[in-house]
Amino acid sequence: MIPLALLRFLRRTPWSTAMALVGMALGVASIVSVHLVSASISSRLDGLVPSSLADFSYYLHRENLHTHDYFELRRRWRSGALPTLERLSPVVDETAQIADVSVRVLGIDLLSQLPSGDIPTASGAFAFNGVWVDKSLKDTLSLPINGIIEAPEGTLLSDISVAHDLLDWPDHQLSYIGLVIGQAFAHGLEVAENLLPGFGAGLPIAKPNLDIGPGWQLVNTAEQYPARAFGKSVLFNIAALGMLALLVAWLLIYQVAVSWLRRLWPVFDRLHGLGVEWPHLRNYFLGSIGVIASIAAGLGLILGWWLATKLLTMSVPGNAVALDLSGWVVIKAFGSALAVCLVGGAWAFRRSQRGQPQTLAPLLATLVLLVCGLICVIQPETGLAGGFFAIAVLSLAAGQTIGPLLLRLKRWSSNIGGSYLMRVGVREALWHPAELSVALAGLSLSIATAIGVGLMVDSFRLDFSQMLDHRLKYDVIAEGNPASLEAVIKAPGSVAQASRIQHYRSADIRVDGALVELNVTHMDAFESSRYAHDKRLGDSEVLLSEQAARTLGVLPQETLRILGETMTVAGTFSAFGDLKPRLIVDDQSAIAEAMGAELKMASVAFESNSPKALARALKASSSTLEIRLQSDIRRIALNVFDQTFAITTVLITIALLVAAISVYIAVTTLRLNRQTGRQLLNTLGVNRVEQHLMNLAMGIGLGAVAMIVALPLGVMFGWILCNVINPRAFGWTIELQVSAGALLWPCAWGMLAAVIAGMLQVGDAEEGAFGGR
Amino acid sequence: MTHHSALTVHQISKHYQDGNRQIEVIRDLSFNVAAGKSISVTGPSGSGKSTLLNALAGLVELDDGDITLEIQDKIFSYRAANERARTAFRRQHIGYVYQFFNLVPTLTVLENVRLPARLNRRPDLEAFASTLLGDFGLSDRLHDFPEKLSGGEQQRVAVARAVLLRPPLLLADEPTGNLDSGNSAQIADLLFSSCRDQNIMLVLATHSHEIAAMADTRLHLDARPSASLAPA
Ligand SMILES: Nc1ncnc2c1ncn2[C@@H]1O[C@H](COP(=O)(O)OP(=O)(O)OP(=O)(O)O)[C@@H](O)[C@H]1O
Ligand SMILES: [Mg+2]
Repeated sequence: MIPLALLRFLRRTPWSTAMALVGMALGVASIVSVHLVSASISSRLDGLVPSSLADFSYYLHRENLHTHDYFELRRRWRSGALPTLERLSPVVDETAQIADVSVRVLGIDLLSQLPSGDIPTASGAFAFNGVWVDKSLKDTLSLPINGIIEAPEGTLLSDISVAHDLLDWPDHQLSYIGLVIGQAFAHGLEVAENLLPGFGAGLPIAKPNLDIGPGWQLVNTAEQYPARAFGKSVLFNIAALGMLALLVAWLLIYQVAVSWLRRLWPVFDRLHGLGVEWPHLRNYFLGSIGVIASIAAGLGLILGWWLATKLLTMSVPGNAVALDLSGWVVIKAFGSALAVCLVGGAWAFRRSQRGQPQTLAPLLATLVLLVCGLICVIQPETGLAGGFFAIAVLSLAAGQTIGPLLLRLKRWSSNIGGSYLMRVGVREALWHPAELSVALAGLSLSIATAIGVGLMVDSFRLDFSQMLDHRLKYDVIAEGNPASLEAVIKAPGSVAQASRIQHYRSADIRVDGALVELNVTHMDAFESSRYAHDKRLGDSEVLLSEQAARTLGVLPQETLRILGETMTVAGTFSAFGDLKPRLIVDDQSAIAEAMGAELKMASVAFESNSPKALARALKASSSTLEIRLQSDIRRIALNVFDQTFAITTVLITIALLVAAISVYIAVTTLRLNRQTGRQLLNTLGVNRVEQHLMNLAMGIGLGAVAMIVALPLGVMFGWILCNVINPRAFGWTIELQVSAGALLWPCAWGMLAAVIAGMLQVGDAEEGAFGGR
Repeated sequence: MTHHSALTVHQISKHYQDGNRQIEVIRDLSFNVAAGKSISVTGPSGSGKSTLLNALAGLVELDDGDITLEIQDKIFSYRAANERARTAFRRQHIGYVYQFFNLVPTLTVLENVRLPARLNRRPDLEAFASTLLGDFGLSDRLHDFPEKLSGGEQQRVAVARAVLLRPPLLLADEPTGNLDSGNSAQIADLLFSSCRDQNIMLVLATHSHEIAAMADTRLHLDARPSASLAPA
């Protein structure tokens, strides 16, 4: 009887019901699409690590690693001295030139690892002296191939002894020892990863306590595969942003519930008078909201799936993506929709029943949380999650200031001058703290996030284009395999037009156990300036990318041992988008001499007066090389940059939309109170146009209040994103530039949202509960 | 400023549609009011008092008949005017006092009273607003918001606003319905004396016989839609 009446009530208020449904569905769509996009990117990231190595959580490394070391370690493990260690295994992992192709040779102990992993054992073609390769190497190698494996391009997997032969290494040499270390919360982490993609990247990495003696370097696999860690950090950022729309949707549901309860309360009061208990009434009410939540979850799933396909084609153009509507997405969609609706509805019910709580508890709790947030900002050990915790706490605190702010503004509002009707409009925006503060909190939160992310992106873009200015001093760049590059330099005809030629050689090396890319080139003053270093690089000096400096834990002017040489860190350079830490040394340095043969030509840069003609000539002389003009690179780089942030923009837009809906609902709720006021103005001869203008003034008032909170909050968000989140997630810092555009655009959109919400008249006619006049 | 004005109500009818049931509220009602005169409207609840006053304000569309208001030889016909024109006319020529919710909550007392002057671009009347409020004993409440005022004070502000423009016609729908007897008498006195002094026609709906008796003419509406006009 009561449930039926409630459902009928929802039908009688089609506008607010529809708006609640749309808002909720948008919130769900936001997290669904983030989950799907993340899952798709995640599986691609996992592809970066050959699955035979995927189990290892750490690598143990030491100079001249010998099989003795491995057996010694294994003995200790067997004797029980290393209790946290679950498994260990010797690994050879180095790059070699085989048949003129650069191949990553991976040697593992087939005897101990054969049963697991992706090696097809069923076929009889298996041979110990054969290899497994990824599909790119299928036809290029003249080795017996056992099978094709899923692995990054150019990966070859074999037994250790085969790898030794391919690399020309002595039998006892190893690259590292792979370790599987039991993690206390492994299962919990997996669940968390599904709930909030990239969660693992958000946690600070703690070194496990292994009693293994001196001389060893313990390297986390995340550091070994920085590209993967980088990607996971991106995912974490997106996931956190995806939560924003859900949070705003929660505020929306609260707002809707308040609006409905206001109309339903007289009926509930009567029913209570007839003997129906409050908990019963509440449960019926939550039940009817739950119906909406379920429908919204279904809609959100479809919408989120559609959005995910769009986002993926936008951020990874040209790649067909398979989206997996797995159980987790469905659980997440329905779970979050129901949770948000039930919590929001119950909160609204409680407040309708008991009124606004007048205790200091929320204030104290916020203060305590703010202190925790501050600690998270100061302490890098709290990781990416700490940074986002600080943002969440700030949002909470800012949301709580809206109510008191409105009260103050209301008291001050008799000072507002101008036309009387404008006064009425603006004051109406300030007059109802209880009804409006939640919706306004959602709006200012969305605007603030837009400002924060906008500031970060703008600052980032500035730094990025500065980096490009430094880096792109050459007019034409050729990249490709070493042999073709050598040929290009030696063929004088094509390069005669170049006024300067710079060649780069590179190799992957291990420093302090971490895998880094070593670049060798002639570092005169001109070349050094490309890395923001103002003089030529000395023979015993090295330049580090920001990521390398973080990974290796060194500062400029400190020394670093590289391949047995002591080098001074001359400076660091920003390398946004680099996946691996990078080191640069001069081609006269001892390291370059020592590496000699292992350094492979990676690219050649030319300076020229007629770059286009040169590029044409180079293209004509070699078809295998990739020839790029500096101007193209810049354009492409900035395009990629903008695509990267397209997802961010979409997510913020969704949140803003949901916030606008909740302001609209709040304003509609108010109209119920304001109806008599409006009738009075009509009697006084205020016409329709003037009423619309008053609504406009109110919308502007609402937008202005949201902005008072959003502007400072947004700048704080921007600061945290630049100085806390980015260093922790990617290893680089961005200098925060407060640009007018990043401040004004979100404000303009927020204002527009508030004005539209204030002026929309639809749904005004919705009557109180169960009719009545 | 003295008005030459007259109100003519000629055979008006009004019905409401409630589902498929027609409620006849007013049928074939006619009466006149001369400049500066007052008329009281009485009748049981639901007899159509408020509907009549709203019709006189141009707030409801008539089914039949016409209401005309003659001001300085110009005649305004309600039937001939559209809603826009009636709104503009109401703004300039009609004052209205309700039983409650008379004041815009977001405007101060003074702003509420000045509102008609502002809406009609009559800055010359703004000083008069303070004078009027002073006359009504509210000089120390000018900058308060209505929520701080008592019921009687709110009604005094409402009367001050309704007479500010010295409109030819003032409508009052149970202006004392919410007040105790002392305040009732005070508000009724204010209304009748202001209208008499400023030559304003007053149409006042009330349940109180004492107040109804203060008017020059009395109109009684029956629960059934038929009306009888009786001299006071
Ligand atoms: N907007 C409307 N729609 C439908 N019916 C209405 C509407 N307004 C009034 N009525 C009906 O018209 C009739 C007259 O109402 P009105 O408010 O004019 O009476 P009243 O004499 O002012 O009563 P009271 O003394 O209680 O104020 C009533 O039956 C009422 O239900
Ligand atoms: Mg009435």
